[in-house]
Amino acid sequence: MVQFSPEVVDTIIRAAALLGAGFAMIAGIGPGVGQGYAAGKAVESVARDPEARGNIITTMLLGQAVAESTGIYSLVIAIVLIFTI
Amino acid sequence: MKNMDNPIKLQKEILKKTYLIALLPIVSALITGAMDVLLGFVFGLVISTLLLRLKYNNIRRALKMDEEKAEKFIRNRYFIEYAMYLIVLFTAARNQDLNFLAAAVGLFMMKFTVILWTILDLFKDSIQQKLESYK
Repeated sequence: MVQFSPEVVDTIIRAAALLGAGFAMIAGIGPGVGQGYAAGKAVESVARDPEARGNIITTMLLGQAVAESTGIYSLVIAIVLIFTI
Repeated sequence: MKNMDNPIKLQKEILKKTYLIALLPIVSALITGAMDVLLGFVFGLVISTLLLRLKYNNIRRALKMDEEKAEKFIRNRYFIEYAMYLIVLFTAARNQDLNFLAAAVGLFMMKFTVILWTILDLFKDSIQQKLESYK
């Protein structure tokens, strides 16, 4: 059986953590694409019914505020992986 | 949520409720004397308040554009906001005076409040519907 020295094991763990942080950051792309799509549809809705503008803005504000939380979760995980290991 | 047709009033309502809920961790951090937790939490809360305001301004600007431009604009702005979140969390992680997890919770506080209030509204509506069905 191959035995690694503690330094090598430590380096492997650190590399895996950094790799994991990088993969976690991929989750930040999704909300951006989704928010953009929602904004496009909101513009379409305002063009169809200008009187509902206020309602559309509030719905979009709430939706976007909640939607971006998944992106921030990934950011928190990535930073925890980088700084704690 | 009330004021669904008035974005400014809705923002004020969200902020009021968020600060009301945030009083609990702030007071408990003050009592226990965990100043790094308090500072981190307030830091996250202030940044999330400012970013909500920025988001509102971005949405208002986007609704004056055409569909494709608005899509691109909001997507780009999201990545700028994401970079701001990164800077805030990075600062909280590097600085010894700020608690990282408290800053993260402060950033999420507004989102938790919105979700909590929506669930409570749904719950209230279902109870009201059941009461009306009994009458």
